Amino acid sequence: MKVVKLRLANSTLLDPAAAQWKKIAAEQVTLGATPLHKQPSRYVRTAWAGKPVGSVRSLKVQAAHNGKNIAIRLEWPDDSKDLDHGDGTIFPDAAGVLFPLKGEAALESMGSPEAPVNAWFWRANLPEGEAQELIAKGAGTLEPAPKTQTEARSRWYRGRWQVVFSRPLSVRGDAVRFSVRKAAKVAFAVWEGANQERAGLKSFSKGWQELSIQ
Amino acid sequence: MAKTKQKKGSTDRQVAMVFDLNKCIGCQTCSVACKTLWTNEDSTDYQWWCTVNTQPGQGHPRDYETMGGGYRDGVPQPGRLAKRSEWGGGWDFNYDEVFYGGKGRSTFLQHVGEEPEWGPNWDEDQGAGEYPNAYYFYLPRLCNHCTKPACVDACPRDAMYKRSEDGIVLRDETRCRGYQFCAEACPYEKIYFNFMRNVSQQCIMCFPRVEQNVAPACARQCPGRAVWFGMLDDHEGPVAQLVNKWKVALPLHPEYGTEANIFYIPPVGPARLSEDLSFDEETPRIPREYLEGLFGPKVNAALDTLTTEMAKTKNGRKSKLMDTLVAYWWKDMFKPYDRDPAEIKWK
Repeated sequence: MKVVKLRLANSTLLDPAAAQWKKIAAEQVTLGATPLHKQPSRYVRTAWAGKPVGSVRSLKVQAAHNGKNIAIRLEWPDDSKDLDHGDGTIFPDAAGVLFPLKGEAALESMGSPEAPVNAWFWRANLPEGEAQELIAKGAGTLEPAPKTQTEARSRWYRGRWQVVFSRPLSVRGDAVRFSVRKAAKVAFAVWEGANQERAGLKSFSKGWQELSIQ
Repeated sequence: MAKTKQKKGSTDRQVAMVFDLNKCIGCQTCSVACKTLWTNEDSTDYQWWCTVNTQPGQGHPRDYETMGGGYRDGVPQPGRLAKRSEWGGGWDFNYDEVFYGGKGRSTFLQHVGEEPEWGPNWDEDQGAGEYPNAYYFYLPRLCNHCTKPACVDACPRDAMYKRSEDGIVLRDETRCRGYQFCAEACPYEKIYFNFMRNVSQQCIMCFPRVEQNVAPACARQCPGRAVWFGMLDDHEGPVAQLVNKWKVALPLHPEYGTEANIFYIPPVGPARLSEDLSFDEETPRIPREYLEGLFGPKVNAALDTLTTEMAKTKNGRKSKLMDTLVAYWWKDMFKPYDRDPAEIKWK
């Protein structure tokens, strides 16, 4: 997956409707349901047995940078635009991008104490522009990163969610760092709120993908 | 503040409450005491950590007893989240118009906005049965601070825990990410969602008060002397006496398998009226099967004990159980949690 270099303002990169995104090659990433037996809650393992999880099976991914910021644009079909908890029994739609902080961290279990992972998380009920930056050291251990430098913008257009994450390429602290002409690992996750997907109940790209920063 | 986190297994001590359903008059003072203390902020309008419902009735949220959760043979049972319409939402009233808008004489206090279809006390006093044998009683409900809390077990993030020093079930809101598996798993449907802050919330057994030897607000504010509060291992205290010695205080729906720590003295109720309008002392007006459905088969022995002890006092004899239930000394209902909260400088 190439992260192409473009001379664009960060505000343009962050705009999921920006015409420039149409010119950037997209990659279709196959998603699958997270395995139920690895969920950290006994209740979830029992109550969700037999229920379909991981509604979204394919994700369109594009990536670009402008020398300062890296932007990752996700797009997937979703008939229901779930911006909130609706009648109280559904969840807002969400998406996440995950990076290992050390080598090939375990993806399925969201890292480990030795090899944590860094997540950028967007949820449809977060204030526009806002993303959460999180660190995980295993399933159920997600914690906010000490500093949030990621932004996200989204739009639901003709039955599809379009979400762009943007963050400076190089940052300090406990976060993934990118360098031009270097590769990085990345993984993706989508939560279909109408199917009550939240927490570990989601669709995810089953392996780390390679991001090659041009 | 919350001291010791203990996820599973037994705790060192366990707080408990006993509600006497023969004394509860359904005044909702407990509900309001809790409401004004804890759920007074935005997005907590529909949250009533303590509710009093008329039984038989559908309860709050509506038909909560059909929503699953809890355990069967130790296995977690699937539950479902209640809909906002089943909670009934928080209602808005035209307070401004009536109290401050100068229209106090031309209009009346009424609900404004979307017409609600349910609420925390919707089917008040409806009950069941046919005249002259209609019956109902009140059932106050709050988080049961269960010995086997399904909510704690369900949280994938260990955001919930049961304190070892008193068995109070609490949530670390900084860890809660609003997944609501706790609410799904709670068979008593006593976990609410704060839509604004994206965290679940429930009764905290007034732990800041308990830590200062003040009984929870719902218990202390009860004007009917219908609530006892104390530790289950305080063997001489009224709570342990009612639960363990006399065995007249029972948990609601013991079949849910969570070992609830809120106990109820079942309602004895009046005898049935026969067709000739004489009392049929043999037949209780509240059907035993109905009470068994709520409190399990042990309700029979509890009611038998209550009737026997009541007969003693009727016949001029002494009954220690009846003395406890009468509660001659209000403060004895909470000892040693009988400190006056007004004396405390709260931070």
